[in-house]
Amino acid sequence: MAETILKVDKLTKSYDGQIAVDSISFEVKKGEIFGILGPNGAGKTTTLEMIETLRSIDSGTATIDGVDVAKNPYAIRGMIGVQPQTPGFQDKTKLTELIKMFAAAYGVKVDPKKFLEDVNLGDKANSFVENLSGGQRQRFSITAALVHDPKVFFLDEPTTGLDPQARRNLWKLIEDVRDRGISVILTTHYMDEAEVLCDRIAVMDHGKIIKLDTPKNLIKDLLSRGFSKEQHVEQANLEDVFIDLTGKELHV
Amino acid sequence: MTLGQKLYTVWAFFTVNLRRLFRDKTALFFTFLFPLIFLFIFGGLNSGSGDVSFKVAVINNSDQPFAQQFTQQLNKQKTFKIDAGVTNQAAANEKMGRGELDATIELPKGFGKVAVGQTYPTGQAIVRYTQNSQSAAATLTTVLQAELQGINAKFVKTETPLTVTSKQNNERSLSAFDYTFTGLLGFAVLGSGIFGPMSVFPELKKNGVLRRLHTTPLRVWQYFLSVMLGNAVIGLLSLAVMFIVAIVIFKLKIVGNYLELIPFMALGIITILGIGLSIGGWAKNERQAAPVGNIIAFPLMFLSGAFFPRFLMPDWLQNITFFIPLTPIIDGARLIATEGKHLTDLGPQIGVLGVWMVIVYAIAFRVFRWE
Repeated sequence: MAETILKVDKLTKSYDGQIAVDSISFEVKKGEIFGILGPNGAGKTTTLEMIETLRSIDSGTATIDGVDVAKNPYAIRGMIGVQPQTPGFQDKTKLTELIKMFAAAYGVKVDPKKFLEDVNLGDKANSFVENLSGGQRQRFSITAALVHDPKVFFLDEPTTGLDPQARRNLWKLIEDVRDRGISVILTTHYMDEAEVLCDRIAVMDHGKIIKLDTPKNLIKDLLSRGFSKEQHVEQANLEDVFIDLTGKELHV
Repeated sequence: MTLGQKLYTVWAFFTVNLRRLFRDKTALFFTFLFPLIFLFIFGGLNSGSGDVSFKVAVINNSDQPFAQQFTQQLNKQKTFKIDAGVTNQAAANEKMGRGELDATIELPKGFGKVAVGQTYPTGQAIVRYTQNSQSAAATLTTVLQAELQGINAKFVKTETPLTVTSKQNNERSLSAFDYTFTGLLGFAVLGSGIFGPMSVFPELKKNGVLRRLHTTPLRVWQYFLSVMLGNAVIGLLSLAVMFIVAIVIFKLKIVGNYLELIPFMALGIITILGIGLSIGGWAKNERQAAPVGNIIAFPLMFLSGAFFPRFLMPDWLQNITFFIPLTPIIDGARLIATEGKHLTDLGPQIGVLGVWMVIVYAIAFRVFRWE
């Protein structure tokens, strides 16, 4: 059993009397990919933002590697990497300069080239973010969030709006991050993504975690309750066709 | 993090953003060219010798040769310009009504006629003017009187027991351009300090740049300090360009010490930047920033002497406007650059700026929002 890196205990948040996150508790282990699924407004983003120190916590606690989020926000920020939904980077700034800035924000100096090569952007070192494709931007955003070697990495809907090749490439990157021993916590609307990527999944609705388990167990559980859907004879779907036709290689 | 690491953060942000600014053509235009455009417009308006100049029409209704000569002599005058296109009173009246002419000099019929038995010409010139050009007419009359007296003296020998003569003082006084120039320095400081952050910060918020930085351990003071450094460097560069243009093209005479001017202007730039940081840091978007920024910036612009000297204001207004944050910058720049005063003479200006700096930065830190 791997050690616990993030411990969330009865975390609660409400806006104007409206409860957004309702006393949720969960734990994330070192080196796992933890998915938070749920419809819009379920409280996923609010949960992440509380743990990321961006929002105040009404009640309950969150600790990362034993450090309390509410009490030591600056220490926590040094331990986490955050990839927001829209990668916010200033324009007219070279990728190497942005890496340098982000490292500086954490008080460290790094070799920007190395971090760009990690995500296959070595040849884009002197480009500006505004000239990157959506997939390149997400890759850059990931590497920029890892300059300080964080313990936990948060991604908010990382593959929204990407083409199938870019999504697969990003999944691979996220798995690489996990294999470095960094815990990954992500939200997504894509079930295939959650199934392929996540070691464990928390399903949220109305501010509560209604189910938490591995994807396999979640499916097994549903089937054991006698669920069945219309059987398909095809052994492939349209995405398989698309990938077959256009290849797995990244196009940009 | 050690203090050294924290200051490295400031330095990295400062250097990267400085390089970024030199790639931003819009920012470069507003920082360097925009104040220069104003300098050329306002500098061109009052770069003349400072002599008063009236526009007048001369209407010669006389057929006498003396009237002809006199008209020609008037043309050589420097005190007023003659509009040669106006030859009759009706046209002159119309132009005077529109304010295009200050007055008309009429030489009536028979002006300059030599009466029978006399040796010299006689006549009376008439100066016509409107209600709005009384002082012009008074000056004109005096000039004409002097002119005619000179002629009279040639014809009739008279004693002049009491005379007056004028001599130029060698000491240089402040020209209108000195006031214009230091006012425009203030305008440039205001532009980069308020209008800059007012549009840049909401943009950074809109694109989620600040939100992303908020997830890092970066402190607000580190971010502010990097912006202050950048603004001071860019601001001083832009002022330097203005000084060079003013000295080379408009013959501005600098008598003060640049080593005193630089830290003083840096203080001014950083103080005004605090206002911009407060507005831009507080506003969620440009629609919030613009009205607040304009409400603060425009009164500053017009009350501080940026566009017209404060000595033209009534005393009570001068006393109030002495304390608004742009006034000490403009006054101080003029006192050091064109009057050769020292920092030690600028106690009131530095004091007012210092107090404002504390106030605006206290506000800026309080109201700052990352998103």
